[in-house]
Amino acid sequence: MIPGPQMRNAPVETRNATTSIHVAPSLASALDALAEYGAAGAAFAGGTWIMRSPVRHEPLRAHYVAIGRIPELGSIRIGPNAVEIGAAVTHAALAAALSDLPEFNVLVAAAARSANPAIREMATIGGNLATSDFAAADCVPALLCLDAEVEISSRDGCERMKLERFLEIRSTLAPGRLVTQIIVPRGEHKTAHARLPLRKAGDYPVAIVSLSISVDGTGRVRTARIAVGSVEPVARRWERLDAALIGRPLDPAHAARVAAELAGEFAGRDSVDAPAWYRVSVLPGLVRRAVAAALGA
Amino acid sequence: MALSLTVNGDHLASTADPTTPLVDILREELHLTGAKPVCREGFCGACMVLIDGTPRPSCLTPAALADGCEIRTVEGLATQGQLNRIQAALDTSDAVQCGMCFPGMVVSLTHLLATTPDAVREDIRAALTGNICRCTGYERIIDATLLALATK
Amino acid sequence: MSDVAATMDLRRRDAADKLRGRTRYTMDRYLPGMLHAAVLRASVPSGRIVRLDISPAARLPGVRAIVTAADAPGMTGIGIADHPLFARDVIRYDGEPIAAVAANTLAQAQAALAAIEVEIEPLPAALTMADALAPEAPLVHPNWRDYEVLLEGGAREGNVAWEATVVRGDVDAAFARPDVEIVESSFRVGRQNHVAFEPRAVVASYEDGRFHIETSTQVPWGIRNATARLLGVPPSQVRVTVPPVGGGFGLKFDLAIEPFAALLARASGRPVRLVNSREEEMLTCLFRENADIRIRSAVTHEGEIVGREAVVLMDCGAYGGEQIFLTTMTAHTLGGNYRLGSVRLVSRAVYTNTAPNGAFRCCNGVYNTFALERHTDEIAARIGMDPLAFRRLNVLGDGDLGATGQVFEADVLRPMLDRMDTLRDSAAPPPALRDGRLYGRATTVGTWFVFVGPSAATVNMNADGTATLVTSGVEIGSGSMVQSLPQIVASTLGIPPETVIVRAADTDAAGYDVGVGGGRTTVSLGAASLSAAQEVRTKLLKVASEMIEAAPEDLVMRHGRIEIAGAPGSGRTVAEVATYAQARNGPVSGTGAFTGAGVPAMPGCVAGHFIDAIDIPVFAVHDCEVAVDPETGHVEVLNYRVVQDVGRALNPRAIHGQIQGGVVQGLGYALHEEVTIGSNGRVCQSGFETYRVPLALDVVPVEISLYEGAPSMGPLGTKGAGEVPILNVGAAIACAVANATGKRIQELPLTPPRVLELLLDRKPDLALPHIAEAWADNLVRPHKAAQGNM
Repeated sequence: MIPGPQMRNAPVETRNATTSIHVAPSLASALDALAEYGAAGAAFAGGTWIMRSPVRHEPLRAHYVAIGRIPELGSIRIGPNAVEIGAAVTHAALAAALSDLPEFNVLVAAAARSANPAIREMATIGGNLATSDFAAADCVPALLCLDAEVEISSRDGCERMKLERFLEIRSTLAPGRLVTQIIVPRGEHKTAHARLPLRKAGDYPVAIVSLSISVDGTGRVRTARIAVGSVEPVARRWERLDAALIGRPLDPAHAARVAAELAGEFAGRDSVDAPAWYRVSVLPGLVRRAVAAALGA
Repeated sequence: MALSLTVNGDHLASTADPTTPLVDILREELHLTGAKPVCREGFCGACMVLIDGTPRPSCLTPAALADGCEIRTVEGLATQGQLNRIQAALDTSDAVQCGMCFPGMVVSLTHLLATTPDAVREDIRAALTGNICRCTGYERIIDATLLALATK
Repeated sequence: MSDVAATMDLRRRDAADKLRGRTRYTMDRYLPGMLHAAVLRASVPSGRIVRLDISPAARLPGVRAIVTAADAPGMTGIGIADHPLFARDVIRYDGEPIAAVAANTLAQAQAALAAIEVEIEPLPAALTMADALAPEAPLVHPNWRDYEVLLEGGAREGNVAWEATVVRGDVDAAFARPDVEIVESSFRVGRQNHVAFEPRAVVASYEDGRFHIETSTQVPWGIRNATARLLGVPPSQVRVTVPPVGGGFGLKFDLAIEPFAALLARASGRPVRLVNSREEEMLTCLFRENADIRIRSAVTHEGEIVGREAVVLMDCGAYGGEQIFLTTMTAHTLGGNYRLGSVRLVSRAVYTNTAPNGAFRCCNGVYNTFALERHTDEIAARIGMDPLAFRRLNVLGDGDLGATGQVFEADVLRPMLDRMDTLRDSAAPPPALRDGRLYGRATTVGTWFVFVGPSAATVNMNADGTATLVTSGVEIGSGSMVQSLPQIVASTLGIPPETVIVRAADTDAAGYDVGVGGGRTTVSLGAASLSAAQEVRTKLLKVASEMIEAAPEDLVMRHGRIEIAGAPGSGRTVAEVATYAQARNGPVSGTGAFTGAGVPAMPGCVAGHFIDAIDIPVFAVHDCEVAVDPETGHVEVLNYRVVQDVGRALNPRAIHGQIQGGVVQGLGYALHEEVTIGSNGRVCQSGFETYRVPLALDVVPVEISLYEGAPSMGPLGTKGAGEVPILNVGAAIACAVANATGKRIQELPLTPPRVLELLLDRKPDLALPHIAEAWADNLVRPHKAAQGNM
């Protein structure tokens, strides 16, 4: 029998008295501070994950660099070919900025329906991508289906990589590096986000299907990118489903049938809120809903 | 380093650790116990305060990021002791039971009244996704909000 | 007496400050020089304390006091004194207190906890009732025989903490009849957490040789007496006062963390505040217990229930607590609702190495009603009778015998079912579901009671025409203390209810009271308050009759005046009479007392019961419509309707508020709120992320009809109305979901995974191998009714 951790009597137990927060006025200042702190430091964006460390029985880092007041990280630039989203843009701000662009319905739905209203005013897109322990992040599958890229900066420069790649390396990202923006290409897509919380809203979805599909003049699927979140520890593409849909007319019932045949490739994750089999079992239904929503758009 | 907070119009200093949740400074240092730290996870909304006009769970707001902000707590919403519109409507509707969630409810709904004057029932429900009430079953809170919206 | 209706729908006097954030609950209290306390808790479910050394912690900065088992010699409990304050040598559950620390700051107290050196040798644990009832099970209390018995009559043995039985009539003969169908159903329910928003909290001080405990409780006298018992001091040395309580729901119907703060205050000489963290509340609240149930009935094809037997296993956790009392309630809930030709029931509280369970709004009534009503639907299906017609045929009516042989008065449930028909029929027909979801509807009935018991009240008539009501009642949010009690006193004295001052509970000021819970506030405290007010009234009328020169019986008290009936404006104001009376005879006051009448059961029917028959039954009829999503297992409640027996509604608006809130709590129990216990013996749902209570989007407005006129010994014909609304929600939802899906619903809560599991036929029929096939084999002692039970 493994004894449990000490039950927490009060929220302050793991708060380290030496923890500092540097409120960075500029990106340069933030990157300098992160470089100096090294492994003892971390970026602090919305704080909705870090501030709950005591609840998870996790110690705080010694140093945080608050990035929420850095102007360029809080802006969204909508260009003709791509949308550039600063890492510190909140879910609420993201949903508001893109609400008139139907091609981003998937991202608007992800940002506008995650968690609850006050959390959406705090939680950032960068934090959502960078928190590797958070399997139920809404924006991750949404951005995966949109083929987003992530810009990572450090004092020594910046680099871009596909979100898929970022998800692979994020837990081993070297100290001093910061997600600074997310770049989402534009295109003629039908997109939709089907999420399944256990209540109507307010809890983390136990499964998410995000999709981005383009169709040809005859209504057949030309391109398809489908991503699945929360079912496994890390969100990922469902490429076999993409392939199965291409060339066929876009139809919710058909997509759900194909999804049911292919769902076995997901292992599912067991957690206190839902068993693995459940997360996998609901995927065909979510695919059907996502396709229906995309067609309705 | 001392933090400088503006709470309900008063300028106050605090020497709290920068990661201290704002709710603990409000309650333990300033003795403003209206905000309640019920879950400390951002789910219940009982610690909601307005920070620069936006409802935020004060359990997830570290002191360092409240520094320099304009903070309004539930204690600062009834000006000169007069209940504001939503407080008056909740009182009139006999909505209150144990009362622990109401400081947060009042903060969230004060903001809703100011920003969504045409809210309908479902909007109010959705707006309360992060405000849990264990006593009332919500309906009377929603009725009171509609009443407050109607009494402009 | 002036008309109590004149004060109907009285608003709450405490609302404005609650809305302004000014109300100081216990957790908000702050005294000069106050210390902060924290409790060291075990992190294994079963073990032996090999070593405990507090000295390294005692040397840390800011630490003012540390207390352990050595400081609390007593044992407490219900029925049996099995529960020490701190683990003594033996750990019986994960989370069991080992030591408590008071320090200048909470952080210092935390640091001290970490510095306490404790070594625990793990022992085998019984984490489930199946584990605990297995032949070679480890005993949670190896020395159970040595415990002081506080109430005689319960059978006990090993991990069976208490066993209560009911036998009426020849059940074997009924089951052997050739003309009956035997229907058997099994059920399992999990625990429910109250999630009172104010955690258990206490501020204690020690002055002049007495403890003053300010605490968030429903039972000030219970805290006084149990604290004294544990600390080994006379109860008169403990004073308990209660600020506004931020939610109770039964959680605060038992001792909690008060004695830790009391001991630390005495040891440090300083006031001490102790507030449970949410995690402590989530893991160690006195949950509504998990239970396993088997019911069998012998029913004729005409629908007569000629025999019924049931085994109810209730997990009490590591200590007996409330479950020992609750073994009593099976007879009145699972044994309720329907006329039974013969019946035998055994209800067992079983020890496990898990956090102790406790009381929660309608307690085991909620799941016994779930089990009974699902079983009832299975019976109706078996004999091919409409479930509503079957209920109408069998519900208890005037002169019918309950399970324990008590005689029920008046037809109540049957007209309530008629009322529900009217309510349902007048509603819009259910919308056709065009989205593939499955529609289901159900109507269920339930029986609960008012937990009467002793209450005391004093009314002091003030010379200014106001009255002060002094009781040990607590305002937990239901409004009884700020609405119904002042309404009762005010209507008796003809003064506005706003002018009745309600003294907050103080065991130094008011007489004994069982506590606020069990729907008893308006009934028991109300009856005591009514009788105190009537004494004041009699005294005032006597004085007034001299002043006005009219016979007392010709006088009325109304609108703040004492005047001649039929001559409004004659006479004097109440204030004038009170002032005159005070000057001439001294201040006017009255006292009142109440306790239950003790309705008889049939001799020989019950054994091990705390209450053989229920003084004030309370009935409820619920009806709901649901839509079930076959793809995800989500259940949406489309409509919910309640017809509730309230005796008489003093404040209909307040009762409606209780019903809406209680139903929604029941929806949480039925659909969302799940507690599971891991292999390490710890509750898995440690916070609001995983313990999901209903949110605003998950609820519907409940359609309500208050059924008045059923007999009640409550003051002015009242019954408790705040507890009952949760009673048949689990039942109604489960029956509706069963009807929607065609699946056999045997467990709650009906979370989406559980419903989908049923829809996909992934789930085998519930097996309860730890319930023996033959009813009598489940008993540690053959049924033998004790003589002279209370």
